[in-house]
Amino acid sequence: MADLQPPPQAARIAQQDEADLVARAVAGEREAFGILVERYAGVARRVARAVLGNPEDADDAAQDAMLSALVKLEQYDPRRPFGPWLLRIVANAATDRRRRRAVRRVEPLDVGLTAGGPRPDTTAERRALSERLRQALAELPERRRIAVVLFDVEGYSHAEIAPILGIPEGTVRSEVFHARRRLRVLLADWKEEG
Amino acid sequence: MKEPLPFDHRPDTALGDALRGVLDPGDAAPFVARVLARAEQVRVLSWDAVLARWARPGVAAALVVSLTAGYLVGRATAAPPAAVRPTVADILIAPPAHPGEVEVVLASVIGNN
Repeated sequence: MADLQPPPQAARIAQQDEADLVARAVAGEREAFGILVERYAGVARRVARAVLGNPEDADDAAQDAMLSALVKLEQYDPRRPFGPWLLRIVANAATDRRRRRAVRRVEPLDVGLTAGGPRPDTTAERRALSERLRQALAELPERRRIAVVLFDVEGYSHAEIAPILGIPEGTVRSEVFHARRRLRVLLADWKEEG
Repeated sequence: MKEPLPFDHRPDTALGDALRGVLDPGDAAPFVARVLARAEQVRVLSWDAVLARWARPGVAAALVVSLTAGYLVGRATAAPPAAVRPTVADILIAPPAHPGEVEVVLASVIGNN
């Protein structure tokens, strides 16, 4: 199993590098924190968007998470990889925001998510596929959604995702499996229809 | 499409690419700039919080120090404590500070005789 293999040399170097960056950021070096933010902006925003759907809300949640991480940097254990530590904060921030949002208002369902509608050209087809995927993703349970995004989009292993979601590795495997099955059916239907 | 293996540990690149397209957040630069700008405010706020956290015990400590110092200074400059007042017995028993001169005592004895 790939999950059980020791991390490759590059990963160890990256981990050391990030531990240094964190130490420098804790010491008040703004540039070091800036490098960490740049490095993790993409994945943090994608994970937040997987939870929240709305890009503006997702960016707000990702930003809150980054700032929360800055405040908590001293609690980070440099012997562990930085990414999962940060992404746990991101996932929690996005989940909290979604809960607050759910209390605040009831979101209408996205329009334009009609499956099997007319598809006049490739751009429209791609857009429609994206919308269907987004809808399918939104229909997945939240934990399953984050698991499949971290695994298939971000390339994290099951073992790395487990602490992010706070669940056992076996449960991560199961979540990824069920999410993939649902999303692959959607993609397959689309290809067959096309 | 083939059913995925339950314990497949390899990322599905086709699905991953499709999802990445759906979740693509766009240009990172404005986001990074926004976060870093807020981080500066957080730093300032956290310093304020640190100072505020220290303010109360700091004021209390300063108060204690100033009270103690005041007490010590006051005690040092105040008049020495009044001597213990002698009792009548003490006065009678104690030898006189300036015993009378022998000639005067004798003269008075002779004069009486």
